[in-house]
Amino acid sequence: MRDISDFAGGDTTKDYCVHCARPDGQMQTFEEKKESLKNFIVKTQGLDETAALKVAENMMRKLPAWEKYFK
Amino acid sequence: MSKRQSQKLNTRKKIIETAFRVFSENGFNVPSSTIAKEAGVSHGLIFAHFPTVDNLVECLLEDFSKNIGESLHTLSESAFSIEEFLSRHLDVIEKYEPFYTRLILEKNLLPGNAKYTFAAIQSTAAYHFSRVIEREILKGTVKEMPIHMLFNTWAGLLHYYLINRDFFCPLNEPVIKRYGGELINTYLALIKKESGV
Repeated sequence: MRDISDFAGGDTTKDYCVHCARPDGQMQTFEEKKESLKNFIVKTQGLDETAALKVAENMMRKLPAWEKYFK
Repeated sequence: MSKRQSQKLNTRKKIIETAFRVFSENGFNVPSSTIAKEAGVSHGLIFAHFPTVDNLVECLLEDFSKNIGESLHTLSESAFSIEEFLSRHLDVIEKYEPFYTRLILEKNLLPGNAKYTFAAIQSTAAYHFSRVIEREILKGTVKEMPIHMLFNTWAGLLHYYLINRDFFCPLNEPVIKRYGGELINTYLALIKKESGV
């Protein structure tokens, strides 16, 4: 996160970004994030849902907020 | 950081940078001994840093993904029109053109995780593309079509020229430098609404 607008709700004390936040600023659950990322990949790249899920999981695996779910 | 740690990091960096150049020129199926020779290190030293060649490819692609992702973020943030975005997207690809071309040519030969790193690079581009194109659709300047088809049409056009560089640029000059403007203009003509329609 490089800019204040990248932090959830503009709150720099949070360790997750706007893309991992619900509308109320709370962090999404792991399953919510995985589902929303998969849907975003389908919407923007048209991948098959199963393939999109694998891409989403591999992206989340490298993000500090989510890596613990893959250990 | 101790001198030893610093040397270790420098050697790792040198191996990655050399592999990046060698893969760009010769493809991913290059023996690790070639990379060691080009980097001026012993063959065994490569495996002291990367347990397998697949691991070297994966680490290299991780670094590449971070660099290209960072460039895409920086350049796309100030792109307010689709024309600006496409131009900046090409600026980023042009910076890494030989390696990027090798990546799209040999993607299916890459080890499992590396393949997904390529997908993450595309996802970063698709994210910035979608932000700009959705605004244009709302403004009525771009035809209403599914975002993924708009993105894939752009990526398909660009990748076609890159993977056929031997036909489009037989003297090995950069493809984007020569055809970038034509690609953007053609794509815009396909997706833009005619004024008054």
